[in-house]
Amino acid sequence: MEATAGPTLARAGARSDEPGRVVRRHSLVTRATHWVTFVAIVVLAMSGLQIFNAAPYLDASDLSDPAHRVLSLDGRAGTSGSVGTATVFGRTMTTTHVLGYTDDGMGGETVRGFPAWLTFPGYQDLAAGRRWHFFFAWIFVLAGAAYVIAGWIRGDLAKLVLRPSDLPKLWPMQAYYLRLRKEPPDHGKYNPLQKAGYTVVLFGLTPFVIVTGLALAPGFDAVANPLIALLGGRQFARTWHFVSMLALFGFFCGHVGLVVATGFVNNMRSMILGSYRLGKHEGTGP
Amino acid sequence: MKRRLFVASSMAAALAGCAKATNALNDWEALRPALGSVDALDHALIGTRGMAKLYRPADVTLDYPVNSLDTPHQPEYLQLIEDGYASYRLPVGGLVERPQSFGIRELRALATLDQITRHDCVEGWSVVGAWRGVPLGDFLRLVRPKPQARYVVFYSYDHDGGGQQFYGSLDLEQATHPQTMLALDLNGKPIDAAHGAPVRLRIPTQLGYKNTKWIRNIALVSSFADIFGGNGGYWEDQGYAWYAGI
Repeated sequence: MEATAGPTLARAGARSDEPGRVVRRHSLVTRATHWVTFVAIVVLAMSGLQIFNAAPYLDASDLSDPAHRVLSLDGRAGTSGSVGTATVFGRTMTTTHVLGYTDDGMGGETVRGFPAWLTFPGYQDLAAGRRWHFFFAWIFVLAGAAYVIAGWIRGDLAKLVLRPSDLPKLWPMQAYYLRLRKEPPDHGKYNPLQKAGYTVVLFGLTPFVIVTGLALAPGFDAVANPLIALLGGRQFARTWHFVSMLALFGFFCGHVGLVVATGFVNNMRSMILGSYRLGKHEGTGP
Repeated sequence: MKRRLFVASSMAAALAGCAKATNALNDWEALRPALGSVDALDHALIGTRGMAKLYRPADVTLDYPVNSLDTPHQPEYLQLIEDGYASYRLPVGGLVERPQSFGIRELRALATLDQITRHDCVEGWSVVGAWRGVPLGDFLRLVRPKPQARYVVFYSYDHDGGGQQFYGSLDLEQATHPQTMLALDLNGKPIDAAHGAPVRLRIPTQLGYKNTKWIRNIALVSSFADIFGGNGGYWEDQGYAWYAGI
């Protein structure tokens, strides 16, 4: 990614690439919504695991049904030894101290799905997990809406949406990354693979994680029965919600990882102050 | 080896610190009202619209789970079990034009609603039951809520280990939703003691914790602020949202 920085930035509006020059990069809305979304995703994922722990299994069916169980975290505490297990598609693994029988968030261990360090709050409290989850669900949706609407008005959004004309460039870009090609294909501010990732996350994964979360609400189901049926039913929607959370969290980790890998100082500077300085730390960002 | 031990122990400390931090944030009482403020938004957005899905008799969960406080063991409830609920009376009071009480036979005569609906537990699981009972909207028309009545409060025979009585509430829109009922039968038989006999609430458009079991009496009120913890229900007083359509 670093290698593409020079020509890309020149097109993005820098009049000169002399070192030390300050380049405007992110609008105030982009910066604010990124920080808010960062916090929201962490709290949503952790409070979601807190909620999951109240019924630490996932079914691929409408109703709860052990015959359609795709994931189950189980444990038992005993004087002769405590055991935690994770069962995925019928295959059971011993996961004592990590899953099933693990950290209770209060200095001990107990029978619970995910460990306290992964849940919000740490100790078992479903009501609290729901409070944090539903509050940050609104924050997540509102920040996402602000980002998309502001980007649409400013025209920034158009630069990161994948277009049919980008499709033939997807493989050449991948080939470039795999060092099968010397030069990346011609592209704008973001390369075709970046655009594909952003488009899938913004307009695919994010709406999906929101809809599958809503599908767990009986009040929502009453107005959206066909949608719930399309998802395979309520328990299946719970499974989809979990899986899409994992995918979104995977993007989140990759995105943050690239912030670190592609010039951490300038990337942080851009995301805090909105601009960065040309020099050693160049990068088009994650 | 020492280095590996150091890395492992500092990781363990960092992980323990993570739980400590989230616990501390959750214990920060001043944040509670802010977090809870979205309940009103959820209520406004999702509300009490539409109809819960109707299932087929073949979908019924035969081993219907019992997930509540223990079956009441107070003498007045044990007496009811003993006489087969023959002496059961359901009084309705508060802000109504015609306060009165109903026996089982009177309630059975009013039981016109049969529905097979899914029960969604706040814990995340779902089961299906075939319910028969009195549509709560019809029932309320008999007692005639006064204009200032806003909520229907259900008091249970049940008490927790600390002696706190179980109760719950619905607003009039939720109470008069055509699928909300005072249930008498589950899966073709009178509801048994464990599942809330002789009368329990059944509201398929809300989570299970709103479905008050072992109803002892009903009151219409303009506000639940001065009832027990003031949050409109036993579980609500434990921190769960009053609006349970989500």
